[in-house]
This record gives sequence, structure tokens and C-alpha cells, in this order.
Amino acid sequence: MQLNPSMKHELIRKSVRHFAETELAPIAAEIDRDAVFPRSIIDKMRALNYFGLQVPREFGGAALDTISTAIVVEELSRVCAAVGLCVTVHNGVAVYPVLRFGTREQKQQYLSRLANGEMIGAFSLTEANAGSDAGSVETTAVKINDDYVLNGTKIFVTNGGICDLALIFALVDPEGARPANGVFIAESGFPGFVRGEVENLCGMRANPVSSLFLEDCRVPEKNILGKKGDGLKIGLVTLDNGRIGIAAQALGLAQGALEAAVKYAKERHQFKKPISSQQTIQNYLADMFTEVAAARLLLYRACALKDEGVRFGTEAAMAKLYCSKVATGVTSLAVQIHGGYGYSKEYDVERYFRDAKVTEIYEGTSEIQRMVIARAVLSEMRL
Amino acid sequence: MLKLIVCLKQVPIVTELPWDEQAGTLRRDLASGMMNLACLHALEAALQIKEQYSADILAITMGPPAAEEVLREAIALGADRGIHLCDRIFAGSDTYATSWMLARTIKQECPDYDLILCGSYTSDSETAQVGPQLAEELDLPAAAYIEKLEIHGRTLRVRRLVDNFRETLEMEFPALVTVSLENYKPRYAGLSGLEAAFDTGNIDRLNAADVGINKSAIETDGSRTKVRKVFLRKANKENILLTGTAANVVGDFLSKYESKISWAIGKDIEEDRNDE
Repeated sequence: MQLNPSMKHELIRKSVRHFAETELAPIAAEIDRDAVFPRSIIDKMRALNYFGLQVPREFGGAALDTISTAIVVEELSRVCAAVGLCVTVHNGVAVYPVLRFGTREQKQQYLSRLANGEMIGAFSLTEANAGSDAGSVETTAVKINDDYVLNGTKIFVTNGGICDLALIFALVDPEGARPANGVFIAESGFPGFVRGEVENLCGMRANPVSSLFLEDCRVPEKNILGKKGDGLKIGLVTLDNGRIGIAAQALGLAQGALEAAVKYAKERHQFKKPISSQQTIQNYLADMFTEVAAARLLLYRACALKDEGVRFGTEAAMAKLYCSKVATGVTSLAVQIHGGYGYSKEYDVERYFRDAKVTEIYEGTSEIQRMVIARAVLSEMRL
Repeated sequence: MLKLIVCLKQVPIVTELPWDEQAGTLRRDLASGMMNLACLHALEAALQIKEQYSADILAITMGPPAAEEVLREAIALGADRGIHLCDRIFAGSDTYATSWMLARTIKQECPDYDLILCGSYTSDSETAQVGPQLAEELDLPAAAYIEKLEIHGRTLRVRRLVDNFRETLEMEFPALVTVSLENYKPRYAGLSGLEAAFDTGNIDRLNAADVGINKSAIETDGSRTKVRKVFLRKANKENILLTGTAANVVGDFLSKYESKISWAIGKDIEEDRNDE
């Protein structure tokens, strides 16, 4: 069992870290404060294949394995989790289902443009009354001639404010004999595709999370992803993959907070010595370091299983549950180690602390992850 | 098609380099490596030549197995292939031995080159010797610390800043330059290129025997220098209050710190004052 990173993975890590520290670090606090999506940096990322992480080369992607993909998200999020979020949602839950379930025509139409970042993707399942309960979407899709006409309101859509394409989960033929869940590839330019205001959120503020209003939005029938009744299946398979990305994002946040805490603990003097010489602080740092290392192993194991082509859903849920828990815990301790300064926007750990919380909420709350994991425990462990 | 060779070195990531102050040693084993910054600038210069003309770029490095990483990175950025000189008997080579071994490798593996590009110096030893010594070994015209280059037929025109003068030099191919940090800002490696560099990148690993070097040759033509000790230069801060009239303060200031001020501004102020 190979537990050490390969030379390729290390070089990808160094390369993304260099980019993030050079391009994102100088603006991360500012774009968080002003809730601005950094378009010029996103443009640079397009040219470096950050939007086609696992897309095959024939469509202009980077064809990375899943560990490399996780490393990319981890390293971006170590510096700026909001940009890490844009990348992981685009790749993990917008591009991935098109790659996995798309027809040849859909792939030809969309994959290259998604992979080169010309189109930024979003995943649009959550509604006022549907989220954890994915089967309860109320957005409707009614067939009229060669189009489906979509009506409904989606909320908390990551990348919603800037996406060029969204995967819309809807109830197909709600008045028909057999209503079924379906997924539609909707371009932002389709008539009736209306963006709501960008949400005023606690963290991830540089990502334009918004509502989407579908007001008689006409989507061609050929834009149904998979079959008409496949919506729930596509959603669950996609979220299994997305969870790896959110786990990577949480891990990057925890790593960034840990490094900031170590640096501060060595610099900050109280009682005429650095606070890192106090046993209490050492205990905090030891726990943080251990938890981050454990989280990384759990995440990379889920990635390795996916690359082996075997079932990875339970491991992805475990990684997401644990990495997000570590992220909230480690960022909280990083604030604690910084004392009053940690509560100030002058220091990055304040942002990390706010950003971390949502990793326990989106792409399946921790409670949902536990449901998924418990199901596996009870079915697999026949004692 | 122009044939370019870029010599690269893997150096420790400085911020990660643990320093044992008492023993006076760098714990290189604990630090991960990166491509030396000036080498990245040299590679960028080569890539820009390749974009402007038709060119083939061969990247060469000498170092332990982990140094292969800089060749993969070079291929990800646009180099066409790599040669990795890797043998335990190369360990501890000084700049003389390194340039001698690089020269042997180049003569054997790619004698028909047009231009060799090196970084002007490395961040871990800062001798700036390998490039010029390699030019001597290969008997090539060379210019160090160049900040710009142009190619006119078989003529290379380079610009460099030396002793506050900007020089423009010309030489015929084949030639060697060492590239400064002034221009040729390195590009970022794309993820697609990084993946492909490991997937399909062409790197030959050569040991001492492959390039006709044996242990006795290393003993005869090997390293001429030995590092006895490495120490960290410390700057101490000291606050000094000068009092009295303005004329006294200025006079005191100049007489106490004359040599330091002269050094800082690059001008002998004692001479100036005597002239007055």
C-alpha cells in the first residue's frame, strides 16, 4: 500500500501552491471583505487547466487522477477557499456528471468549453423545501414540442452569480401519469434563466452564491442528462464525487489555519517567551497536526478507490464528514491561539474560521454523511 | 531548427530548510526541493526562443533521484526532453566537477547544440560558477548575467548589466549564456502539462559509466574545493542617539559611519570630503 505521495503529486502540489501564494494570497482578504469574484485570476486559471481537472485530453482537459484533483483543490483552499470552491464545484459536480452521464453530442457541445473554463458550471439541486431530501424538488419540467419548460426557484447555488451553465434538478411531467426526477443542462443564456441576488453569507464570500429563477425557461429536450427518470441517481452519484472535492477544500482550510497558528505561536511572546513554549499551545498544535494528517489519509484513500474504479461513496462520505469536522475544529483552535488578533480581520485565521463552517453543511450535511456511513456500517458489517 | 540546452538545478525550498545553528549545517534531507529560480528564468528564455523560432529544448540536471522532478517540471513547461545525470559517485561535487561532468555529457549526448542556457546562480550556493566553467570546458563564447537576448541568423546578441553599465555583446553560435533574474519571468506550469510530463515525458537517466566517468576520473578531475563550514550571518540592531547641534550631529554621524555610508552609496565620501 503506497502511503507516500508520488513525485507527480508533489510537483502538482508545489505548482498549485506557487500559483496560489503568488496570485491568490495578496487578494484573498480583500475579495472576502468586498465579496468580489476575482475574474482576472480565474482567467489565468483557465489557461492552466484548473477547469478541466479530470476531463480527458481529447476535450482539452488535464486528465488528472483523483488524488491530483484533490491536491489542486486543497492547495487553492489553503490560501483562498472561495476560489477553491469555484473550482471544485465546477469540476466535481458540474463537469463530472456531464462526463459520466452525458451523450456524445452533449459532451461535444459542452465538455471542451467547460474544460477550458470558457463556461463555468453550477449544480442546482437545493430549493426552499429540498436539500438533504433530494427527492422533494418542486421545480417542474413540462414538455412542449421539442423543449422542456422549466419553472421553479433554486437557492444557494454555488457559482450561481457567474455560471454559464447549470445542471437543474426538476420534476418532469408533474401532472403526468409518471412524474420523475430529471436533470437538465441549462445555459445561462436560455430564455427564462434568471439569476437572483448574490447571497450575503458568513464565509466563502468571494464566491457568488445566488438563487436561480426558472421562469418558463426553455431547455431543448436533447439537454436532458441521462434518462428522464435518472435525476435522483445522477444526483447521488455526482454528490459522492463532489464530497471528495469538499473534503479537499476543508483539508486545505485546516492546513492553512494550522500553518498560520504555528507561525503565530512561534512569533507571539507572552511571559517573555514564545507562546509555542507553553504546553497548552503545544497540545493544541499537536492535536491539529495529527487531525490534519489523519484527514489527509482518509481523503486520499477515497480518491485512490475512485481511481481504482471501485465503489468509493462511503469513503467519500467519511472523508467529507471528517475533513469538515477537522476544518471547523482546527480553524477554531487557530483563532484561539491567535487570541484577540485571531478575531480580527487583520489575520487570515478569522476568514478560515468563517469559511470552514459551511464545509459541514453543503454537498450533504454532516448528518447526511452519517446516514450514508451508517447505512454502510449496518449492511457491510454482518455481525 | 535551433538546438537549445538548458542546465537546471534542484535546490532546497529555502523557507522549509531547517538550520542546525550549533552544528552549522543545513538539514537538506528534511527539505523538499524546487527548481532554482534563475534556472527557471533560463528555461523561460529558452521557451521564448522556441515560441519565436523553431527550437528543440533539452533540459539537463545532475542530482539525486529526486532531482528528476525539475526535469518533469521543465517538460511540463515546454522542454522537449530531459537528461538526468544521477550516480552516487557524483555526490558532493563542487562547481568544477559539476561543469566538467556536464561538459562530458553534452559532448557525448548532444554535441550539435546551438545555445546553452544556465541560471546565473543557484540559491543554495550562489557561486555563479557552473555556467562560465561549462563554457570553458566546451571552449565556447559566453556571457554571464544576461537580461535579454536576440537571435540574428547565427549571431546571438545579449544585453546585461555589469557594474552599473548596460552592455550589449554579440557572439556566434554555438554559445553559452547565464540568465539573470531581471527578465524572463517564469510562466506557471499548466496542470495538463504536468500530467503529460509524467505520462509521456521523455527523460534519460544516465549514470557515471554511461558518460564514461569512473571513480578514478572523479578522483583526478573531481572536486577541487571542500566546504569546511556554513554559518548564518547575523545582523544586530543597535540604537544610537547622537546629540548636540546639527553640525555636531552630522559631523559625528559621518566620522563614525563613514565607511558604512561609502559602502552603501558606492562612493568614497572620505575622498570627497578631503577634496572639499
